[in-house]
Amino acid sequence: MNKIELQDLLYKVEKPARYLGNELNSIHKIIENNTIRYAFCFPDIYEVGMSHLGMKILYHLMNTIEDVYCERVFAPSIDMEEEMIKHKIPLFALESREAIKDFDFIGFTLQYELSYTNILNMLSLAGVPIYSKDRSSDNPIVILGGPCTYNPEPIADFADIIILGEAEEVQIELLDLYRHYKATGYTKELFLQEAAKIAGVYVPSLYQVKYHEDGTISSFNPKMSGIPSKIKKRIVEDLDHAYYPETMIVPYLDVVHDRVVLEVFRGCTRGCRFCQAGMIYRPIRERSLEKLAELAEKLLTSTGYEEISLASLSTSDYSELHNLVRHLIDEYSKNRVGISLPSLRLDNFSLELIEEIQKVRKTGLTFAPEAGSQRLRDVINKGLTEKDLMQATQKAFASGWSSVKLYFMMGLPTETEEDLLGIKELAFKVVDLFYDTPKEQRGKGLNVTISTATFVPKAFTPFQWEPQLTLEEIHTRQQLLKQQLKRKNVIYNYHDAKTSFLEAVFARGDRKLSKVLELAMNEGCKFDGWMEHFNYSKWESVFKKAGISPEFYVNRKREYDEILPWDHIDVGVTKQFLIRENEKAKQGELTQDCRTNCSGCGINEGFIGGIC
Amino acid sequence: MYRIRSKFYKTGDMVFISHLDLVRLLERAFRRGNIPISYTQGFNPHPIMAFATALGIGTSSEGEYMDIEVDEKIQLSKFMDSLNMVLPKGLEVITSKYIAKDNKSLMSIIQYSSYTVKVVFQEKMKEEVVNNILCKFLSLEEIIEIKEKKNKNKFKKSYKNEIQEKNIRMQIKNLEVLRIQDNEVVLKMLLATGSSGNLKPETVIKKLQEIMGLQIEPEKTRVHRLELLVEIEPKSLTPLDIAE
Repeated sequence: MNKIELQDLLYKVEKPARYLGNELNSIHKIIENNTIRYAFCFPDIYEVGMSHLGMKILYHLMNTIEDVYCERVFAPSIDMEEEMIKHKIPLFALESREAIKDFDFIGFTLQYELSYTNILNMLSLAGVPIYSKDRSSDNPIVILGGPCTYNPEPIADFADIIILGEAEEVQIELLDLYRHYKATGYTKELFLQEAAKIAGVYVPSLYQVKYHEDGTISSFNPKMSGIPSKIKKRIVEDLDHAYYPETMIVPYLDVVHDRVVLEVFRGCTRGCRFCQAGMIYRPIRERSLEKLAELAEKLLTSTGYEEISLASLSTSDYSELHNLVRHLIDEYSKNRVGISLPSLRLDNFSLELIEEIQKVRKTGLTFAPEAGSQRLRDVINKGLTEKDLMQATQKAFASGWSSVKLYFMMGLPTETEEDLLGIKELAFKVVDLFYDTPKEQRGKGLNVTISTATFVPKAFTPFQWEPQLTLEEIHTRQQLLKQQLKRKNVIYNYHDAKTSFLEAVFARGDRKLSKVLELAMNEGCKFDGWMEHFNYSKWESVFKKAGISPEFYVNRKREYDEILPWDHIDVGVTKQFLIRENEKAKQGELTQDCRTNCSGCGINEGFIGGIC
Repeated sequence: MYRIRSKFYKTGDMVFISHLDLVRLLERAFRRGNIPISYTQGFNPHPIMAFATALGIGTSSEGEYMDIEVDEKIQLSKFMDSLNMVLPKGLEVITSKYIAKDNKSLMSIIQYSSYTVKVVFQEKMKEEVVNNILCKFLSLEEIIEIKEKKNKNKFKKSYKNEIQEKNIRMQIKNLEVLRIQDNEVVLKMLLATGSSGNLKPETVIKKLQEIMGLQIEPEKTRVHRLELLVEIEPKSLTPLDIAE
């Protein structure tokens, strides 16, 4: 393979450091004849992709294998893409600067639905056919993984292999199988048929979908025997013994999350009914304090980072959080290493703990009540009261904080105007709380930021059957809040709902959508998650051209007996559980945290055998 | 606290990182190299570091300067070795010196920069032709650069940008041909930098194109800074020369 000459281009494009590939702790291997080349692609720009934990884990993990060389690829930004096309430069891997069309594997991580067009665009920039059926044994094998693959159907026709669940083990098994076939005679067809027998591996081309006349699915079956009709996700059972990198690449650029990431646990026991992550990442598995302390030391010394983030779905639920934070402060505050706790819950976060942390570095406070009224918070099983919020903010104001962000969702099932006005009431109460705080205690310049995100019903949540609000209705509700939230010190943020609409199409879509994605890519749709690039009218015309109504996927209430596009995937949480939760939601009945009381979701039956 | 003034290179791939990237990179390098750097007080502590100028992306340099403060006095050779060991290829400290804390900041003392600028012409050039052009250019009394000042006040309704005209002739202290090979010409420039004004070599090239009709391929121009100077007369002095 030839190294691509980039030097002259680097002088022309914005932020050339995106394409250097030689950052601290990046891996550069000598390429031998038998080296298995793996292009790990992130379908967004460098700054976004370099913030992603899964890539850090798999990159370093795969590179521990001697004959495997895993390299990074990000979506080139628009200016770089133009230069590449102009100079006939195909998509290349950052480290070796070699074209990825000659690699053995091209892997993509699917973090959000609006990056799907970027995947197709990157394959096309690489010079690799986008459809699996058009790729021969000479082309790289295209693997998709990540959270969006729990409903992989809209993008299934483009994938050779889809990895379901946590990839640390199954990725290695796939490489082993590939190495075996490379030595004994490889054909894509044979390899895929064998791969489909590995737990956690879904080969879409080996399954047939049939539809009713109304567009819903009538059957989904394997085309051959010996492969499962229901594909189970993979999990890593013991996090202390699972691979975790001891070093991380330190980008030159200021990326979105530019810090050491310490993953403290996987899964979440809260059972919020809108939350896909809370369902699909079950069961809960913690890393031990000892292991985390050891990793923190190695990661901080090898990177020199000034900040360490304790990552999980709900970090204040980590059972050893106090001890861990104490340890990190004792060890590293002399080097001014700050600690960030990204996902704290209002009801159990300890202000004393935060104050300790903020002695090193001070940041704003962010809470997510998700809904404005107690009734709606009960519907979504958030299990959080107004008292929790008031107590937490009161303490925060009294300790000198003056900047609070509150996150809400808009368009949750059963939401009424009253619930929306509840958001306003909460916001105003928070403002009043600030001014009730004695002047000598509180800080200066109060800032209350209210953000609403449009609710997107996701697969494998109790709300997977529910429609999303129409665009008009979302717009009306946003305007209502905008009017209501006009007050000094209060800022209201909301997004254009059109991106959420599109997200909802692909979150719960089926294989018929591959046509739409192909057309959209041809029309030049890319970076759809970026407001400056998102072009809704293009999408509208693409849906029309494909003869597909997006409303069918977004605004239609589905029945419990409908075959859902993702029903052939087994995440451990049973359909009966999801139905039960949806019914309880309608009654506003709470389900307890599963640390307190097992909710019988099913994860302990097929995956761990016993108690979580 | 003790202050160290250092001169360093920024070459190779490191020309593609911005000044802010460099600051972050150094902060992390100090930590990895166990340099006892001092930090600012306050909610968001930063290492105490100050630079002479911010080098633009794409410009290489063998004459960059920074001042840092350390909590304990370490041997200079140890300081340089520990730091260079953890710096990426293309960044290297070449001289360091303890200086008194009452020295003026680098930014306030710098007055000139010397550069080499590689320019690619559309055709082969003869030295006397280029010399002639430079001579005529330097004999001009006025070289006007039009600067658009962006209106930063976003609350104002008018988005009209202010236009400023500036005579940059006096900011060009020297401009000469260093060498010529076919259509590649390397110029040497001495330009005002810092407290005496800020003239970029790219602007000089642009003016040469506009006024003298230079036929070049602008995207192939490469700028390299040789040195930052505090004084040029009676003799050239660097920030390290004058520091006590």
